[in-house]
Amino acid sequence: MGDRVLVAMSGGVDSSVAAAMLVDEGFDVVGATMKLFCHGDDIPDRPCCSLDSINDARRVCESLGVPHYVLNLERAFGEDVIDNFVAEYARGRTPIPCVRCNTFTKFRDLLRKAEAIDARWIATGHYARIVDGALHRAADDAKDQTYFLWGIDRRVLSRMLLPIGELTKAQTRARAHAMGLEVVAEKAESQEICFVPGGDYTAVLEQRLGTSAPALSAGPVVLSDGSIVGHHEGFARYTIGQRRGLPGGYRQPMFVVDIRPHDRAVVIGPREELLGHGVIARELNWLGAPPSVGATVRVRVRHRAAPALAEIVRLDDDEIEVALDEPVSAITPGQSVAIYDGDRVIGGGIIERAGRGPRQALPVVPASRGLSLSI
Amino acid sequence: MPAPIYLDHAATTPVRPEVLEAMQPFFGARFGNPSSTHRWGREARAALDEARERVARCLGAHPDEVCFTSGGTEGDNLAVLGSWRARRDPARAGIITTPFEHKAILAAVHAATREGADERFVAVTPEGIVSLASFEAIVDTTVALCTVMWINNEIGTIQPIVELARRARARGAIFHTDAVQAFGKVTIDAASMPFDLLTISGHKFGATKGIGAMFIRRGTALEPLMHGGSQDRGRRPGTENVAAAVGLARAAELALAEHDAEHARLLALRDALERALMERVPDAVVHGRNGPRAPHIISISVPGTDSESMLMALDLKGVAASSGSACQSGTVTPSHVLTAIGVAPELASSAVRLSLGALTTEACVERVAQLFPELINKARRLSGSAS
Repeated sequence: MGDRVLVAMSGGVDSSVAAAMLVDEGFDVVGATMKLFCHGDDIPDRPCCSLDSINDARRVCESLGVPHYVLNLERAFGEDVIDNFVAEYARGRTPIPCVRCNTFTKFRDLLRKAEAIDARWIATGHYARIVDGALHRAADDAKDQTYFLWGIDRRVLSRMLLPIGELTKAQTRARAHAMGLEVVAEKAESQEICFVPGGDYTAVLEQRLGTSAPALSAGPVVLSDGSIVGHHEGFARYTIGQRRGLPGGYRQPMFVVDIRPHDRAVVIGPREELLGHGVIARELNWLGAPPSVGATVRVRVRHRAAPALAEIVRLDDDEIEVALDEPVSAITPGQSVAIYDGDRVIGGGIIERAGRGPRQALPVVPASRGLSLSI
Repeated sequence: MPAPIYLDHAATTPVRPEVLEAMQPFFGARFGNPSSTHRWGREARAALDEARERVARCLGAHPDEVCFTSGGTEGDNLAVLGSWRARRDPARAGIITTPFEHKAILAAVHAATREGADERFVAVTPEGIVSLASFEAIVDTTVALCTVMWINNEIGTIQPIVELARRARARGAIFHTDAVQAFGKVTIDAASMPFDLLTISGHKFGATKGIGAMFIRRGTALEPLMHGGSQDRGRRPGTENVAAAVGLARAAELALAEHDAEHARLLALRDALERALMERVPDAVVHGRNGPRAPHIISISVPGTDSESMLMALDLKGVAASSGSACQSGTVTPSHVLTAIGVAPELASSAVRLSLGALTTEACVERVAQLFPELINKARRLSGSAS
């Protein structure tokens, strides 16, 4: 029998096909479904992480003839992902829990479970590819999930298998049918955050922060000149670029362009005020050598956005600044910036704020500093 | 891979060939409904009556004191809710139980609170035994029912059922014991012991799943959980599972006949395994080790490991164990039993239950005595390198 691989199985079609492909390739497959949170019995038909999903993953493993385990990672997931999700909203930012789930839950905690069972490999149903030990975008650009994977420990790359990274979603479904995985072949895709029941994240915030928390209390809606044009019921209910629920009566569409926790203000403005010319990010992670200052890269500031050309203008241990060739809309604190060299993911970080862009990008980093970082 | 080793007899046991053989006719020619008046019905009725008599003999009971159920959970629910509902006396609203009961009891008692009952928990010692002093202090004339498991299913400790039942009775309370793990492991004699209600489950001692029995002492009122026909004196409506009842009777008789020899055999195996494990993993903790214990359960925790990983690793090496009572989705959560006896969460989260039984041989014990420490050492290396 081949190498042992622990496959993270959500009960969805992608990870099911991933497991089936690895079985076909002769791997010693062990399936595992992570139980990450508990809603109790209130929500009988959650698309993800519910008992139904666990049952589907188990049924798939039964049909593949491989063992299946349920791993309870609730406590760690709560601390690493849900707590951070709540804290980020509380300070006026818009987090992406999936990034931290990949970084901490799937490719750190689950990897430890893999080690406990002598699994050489860990596999998931992500649309992304490992090419020569590096993380690359998926063959299907529309499905590419590398935006959520920039944060993983680079040492994990040599142990990762991403079997469906070469497929389109349609091909994945076709394979599911061909492999007899009818239980999951036509399962709907979840766009929701798995631990947010019904897609209403503010309910989670209300439960965790209390309804009187500053982030959920009334505050002013202002224009960028400071004039108050209305009131809102909590800045955590807004995100940069949002149009819905704003005061009307303007000649042009208005968007949330800034959130200011210190005075609880939600700043609105026309489309051009959303444009950012650069990105400043922290909580950096590199999947290979960090880029050099002056290097031309491509960056994504949101899932599925076309990677935008940019130049690295500053890089410290804990902060990066890139200048965008063309301005990008709605650069949102708390979201991720994923940095690419062609198809390859170099790394990324959590967006701190929009940067100033190429003209004002200062100061010049001394050459020695730049060299020492481009190891 | 060497032959797999089953060390989860507290979860369930293989059906004994003698049991299957005894059940066989009822899947064939003797298919009748025991409530029918014709010859097919009479044949089935005769088999059911006989099974009831045989189970009664095994429990020291009268045949009319035996009620067939679907198993432990139904028995526990019938005992708790049935006796509560039959009495429902506001002046006697108390139901006393332990914090380390099976979930079937804890949930049933909790359900009774929605019908006016007042749940009260007796203190348990770190050794995993109910505190008689605490019980004495809380059993008064406001208590309707006391329910205490005879042998704890996770740690194997034996509770002083006779002493507890006597105290409950003295205050006019009904006493139930969940004897699901106890049947065949300790002497159970309704004729000489003062419990009123007792639950057993067939698949824990070689009968099939889906059959159990309750002892209901004469004069103990129970309201049925289900409504329908008058089967089993109206206590358990529904056409009886004749084949399984016959199987249960056979399994019960075999368990009692073999009790002394099997008890000695399991005790020797358990002690050998426990000794070997403690020798090779000196900081391991065996829960409930200092109290009176059943011969078939070892609950062992090793600091720096987690039960989830251990169970997976053991399973992939062919060894079946568990972390306590299995839960619906198959996940592993800190055991309420270990929490109740004061085991710290970190230690509780590393607990593995090895339960011995019919399939356990010296060879099994030797292999596990070797494999378990190996896996422990590996898990510790990993957790050491991770932190």
